[in-house]
Amino acid sequence: MSDTSYITISFEDEIPLLQAVRKLRENKEIIKDVLSPFPVHGLDEALSMKRTRIPVVGFIFGALGAVLAFGFQAWVFTVSYPLIIGGKPFFSVPTFVPITFEVTVLFAGLSMVAALLIRSRLKPEITFTPLDVRITDDRFVILVDTPDNDASLERVKSILSGIQTVEIK
Amino acid sequence: MFQSPVRDPLIEGSNTYKSITSDILNPMMNKASKYWYMGMTLATMAMFFGLFMIFWTVWQGIGTWGENRTVGWAFEITTFVWWIGIGHAGTFISAILLLFRQKWRNSINRSAEAMTIFAVICAALFPLIHLGRPLLTFFIFPYPNTRGLWVNFNSPLVWDVFAISTYFTISLVFWYVGLIPDIGTLRDKIGKGVKKTIYTFLSFGWKGSARDWHRHEVSSIMLAAIATPLVLSVHSIVSMDFASSIVPGWHTTIFPPYFVAGAIFSGFAMVQTLLIIARKAMGLEDFITKSHIENMNKILIATGSIVALAYGTEMFMSWYSGNEYEHYAFMNRATGPYWWAYVIMITCNVLSSQLLWLKKLRTSLVFTFFLSIVINIGMWFERFVIIVTSLHRDFLTSSWTMYKPTIVEYGLLIGTLGIFFTAFLLFIRIFPVISIAEVKSILKTGSRNQPKGDSHHE
Amino acid sequence: MDEQFDFKTRYRNILLIVLGACFFISLGIILIAKPGASRIWANVLLNNQYFLGLSLGAGFFLAIHRLALSGWHTLIQRIPDAMTTFIPVAFILMLLIYFGMHHLYIWTDNTLADAVIEGKKGWLNIPFFFTRIVLYFIGWIAFSWLMRQNYSSLMTSSDIKYYNRGRMFAGLFLAFYAITVSASSWDWIMSLDARWYSTLFGWYVLIGMFVTSLAFITLMIWFLKRLGYLKFVRIDHVHDMAIYMFAFSIFWTYQWFAQYELIWYGHLPEETSYYITRVHHFNVIFFINLGVNFLVPFFGLITYNSKRNLNWVALIAAILLVGHWLDYWLMIMPAGAGEKATIGVFEICMTIMYACLFLFIVLKSLSARPLVVKNDPFIKESLNYES
Repeated sequence: MSDTSYITISFEDEIPLLQAVRKLRENKEIIKDVLSPFPVHGLDEALSMKRTRIPVVGFIFGALGAVLAFGFQAWVFTVSYPLIIGGKPFFSVPTFVPITFEVTVLFAGLSMVAALLIRSRLKPEITFTPLDVRITDDRFVILVDTPDNDASLERVKSILSGIQTVEIK
Repeated sequence: MFQSPVRDPLIEGSNTYKSITSDILNPMMNKASKYWYMGMTLATMAMFFGLFMIFWTVWQGIGTWGENRTVGWAFEITTFVWWIGIGHAGTFISAILLLFRQKWRNSINRSAEAMTIFAVICAALFPLIHLGRPLLTFFIFPYPNTRGLWVNFNSPLVWDVFAISTYFTISLVFWYVGLIPDIGTLRDKIGKGVKKTIYTFLSFGWKGSARDWHRHEVSSIMLAAIATPLVLSVHSIVSMDFASSIVPGWHTTIFPPYFVAGAIFSGFAMVQTLLIIARKAMGLEDFITKSHIENMNKILIATGSIVALAYGTEMFMSWYSGNEYEHYAFMNRATGPYWWAYVIMITCNVLSSQLLWLKKLRTSLVFTFFLSIVINIGMWFERFVIIVTSLHRDFLTSSWTMYKPTIVEYGLLIGTLGIFFTAFLLFIRIFPVISIAEVKSILKTGSRNQPKGDSHHE
Repeated sequence: MDEQFDFKTRYRNILLIVLGACFFISLGIILIAKPGASRIWANVLLNNQYFLGLSLGAGFFLAIHRLALSGWHTLIQRIPDAMTTFIPVAFILMLLIYFGMHHLYIWTDNTLADAVIEGKKGWLNIPFFFTRIVLYFIGWIAFSWLMRQNYSSLMTSSDIKYYNRGRMFAGLFLAFYAITVSASSWDWIMSLDARWYSTLFGWYVLIGMFVTSLAFITLMIWFLKRLGYLKFVRIDHVHDMAIYMFAFSIFWTYQWFAQYELIWYGHLPEETSYYITRVHHFNVIFFINLGVNFLVPFFGLITYNSKRNLNWVALIAAILLVGHWLDYWLMIMPAGAGEKATIGVFEICMTIMYACLFLFIVLKSLSARPLVVKNDPFIKESLNYES
């Protein structure tokens, strides 16, 4: 990636990565992104990341599923085609519970996955150019949002002196 | 997070992030061994045998089975429940153990989830076969039609349709969400070619950004949180197929949790069977360690004991209830003409799993492998005992009869085993059998030989 | 790390005064208002079961965490540890039931010409009933004593062998507990409705018991932290207790539903009798029970932030404690005290009396040793715990 307007700092391990993140933030550098092969413990706090609201999406759609499923069964058995089956009343709540539950879970689960894919812009594509193929293997990268010139490079380097980095460019 | 040194390490050997990636990916990227081809041949043969028997059933009708007027439910429902049960361990491992923060699940959840999905597919085949006319399967879903009819929402069989399709969908989605980062690793490992394009397509453009990881983690936890009651509900609903009737031996309130415990029991046994082979064949001993096997054995003791408690409770209550039909149903189970099935059930499920209290047996791979197969046989017989012995001597003495399965029915069981193993063998060639990212996340805290750097930061 | 709970004389006096006051009010009600023998004995049984359940559930909590090699709970394990000291007291209280057998259990009536009850005589007879009580309690007292002794060994020695030995005791406790809690609930509660039976009943009681204990442990954390103890216990530990209460309340509801659904569906007269009594005569409490024990923890603890607010979690825990008391009430009273059963001053006084006794014993035992088992091999994990 030649047209970068940011500096990439690579690490071999998550401990210097976390140190670097903290140090950069102390020095008011703007971290554009951090890429890692696995979820680094403590990184969310170090970046003071706001908690995602995906669970809220799940709750709302789950509630919707519950209402739809219960309402539909109730409508079918009391309005659309009331039938006495096994001597049970038309509006028999206990028998509506299992399907209501299943549909709730289905709606909640699918909506959360959809929210994850949409918010993280994950979609099937034929081509993908990684910043560095080793990021999914054993490389940790910080992208600092700053013009890619010598001055800012020097500044970042001096901030990170003493921290074990692989490459700063 | 700090990990107490008392715990067994979760990763053996000296590993680095790089070696984890290559150790897990190499067996699937290298050429398949001849054992794989042998297994595949066997599995596909079994599969085609079963497919033929399905065809034969549909072509000739259900008369090719051994069911009769008294025993209207037998072999196929048994096998259906058995498969659904096996399909419970995967979600148990990935969801419940995740909520309980059992880190050792990280290296076994992927294959267990895959197993779940294949087992549910095998199970879902049976309702289709049972319909007799598989082309009319859509009748079981509530869709608007010209007759103005709906499905019967009062029926546990309809609940089953909803439960199993939801379970399948959520398990599949859960599994795939977990796979995305690892497919990303595969994509970046493969140089070029069609394979690369396919994995790129499947990886959904995963780049490993901190925000994405955060969302990924939170949604995994949330999916686990909703999958947990889902697992419980699925087998509970399956149990209600029986328990909501008034057949003595079926109508008993303990069925839902008891079936769930039995399902997890048999599911873990199947996971043991598969993983003990896979770790050996694919050289994954560093990640699926003896302590993983031991932990799963402990779950086998726990669930096996719950099942035993349920057997005992049912037996006691059949006497305590003062209901002579109830009492007879259980006496007939244990001492009637199907006593041998009952003996197999008790031996394989209760007695054999209690042997695992001994540490020596619990940590022995050979014994565990043997036991896992024994338990699976036992759990098949448990369902057989519940279903057939409760039916074959019903209220009308003149209708008392025995049930004998036909070759077509054995074929269906063998065929689904074939489908299951074919799918699993394909899976281990296509996707990483161990979650690479999740294993990496415990490398620092859970390895025997600590890699460089301080293990417990903060 | 060596902080120790100071059971001040002030607390002792408050507890003893309230206990005494409630005792005399109850006695007064018995002498003046004459609530009837079955109601009195049903109250004794209800509170015996409830507070014994708190202790046994605490033992279950300890055993299951020890067996699962749990680390996070290490800092709070002295609370359930102290709760198990009530079991011997509960033994004595349970033996008191001997004097009320005829008022509670219709199967003690030998003149009853009922074929079904007659058939149960092999199990339901007074000598065997009390033999079983003794057996249950011997096991519970012995295994919980062994577990407690093990903790005190861990207080003084850091030898790992004590920890491993404790795991063995935990396993024994657990196996014994699962069988005896089922069986004792059939004996003490299910046989009140002597013709009725449900195979799930024992497991239903077991889970309700565990939820109650979780709620009490949480409330104790809140209480001790308010007094300035347990400084090492952070919101992450509370969060886990909240998740527990949330999850096991749902699990309790699942058991409730499984039992209700199958009996409702089967519609057999010998099974529905239990619910018919409760739905027809006590329908308000019947639905409150479901609402309080399911909806309150479900909506109250569903969000991330609600689980991380100690006061809020403690409030939900307190509601759950009341809720599960109602659950036991519904199991015991309609059969034990008959259709006229209510919740009046008498019930409340009796329960407060028991609660004071229970608290007195638990706090006394808590003050006997430091609040943290400092040689537990997982202590550092618990100190560093992040949920």
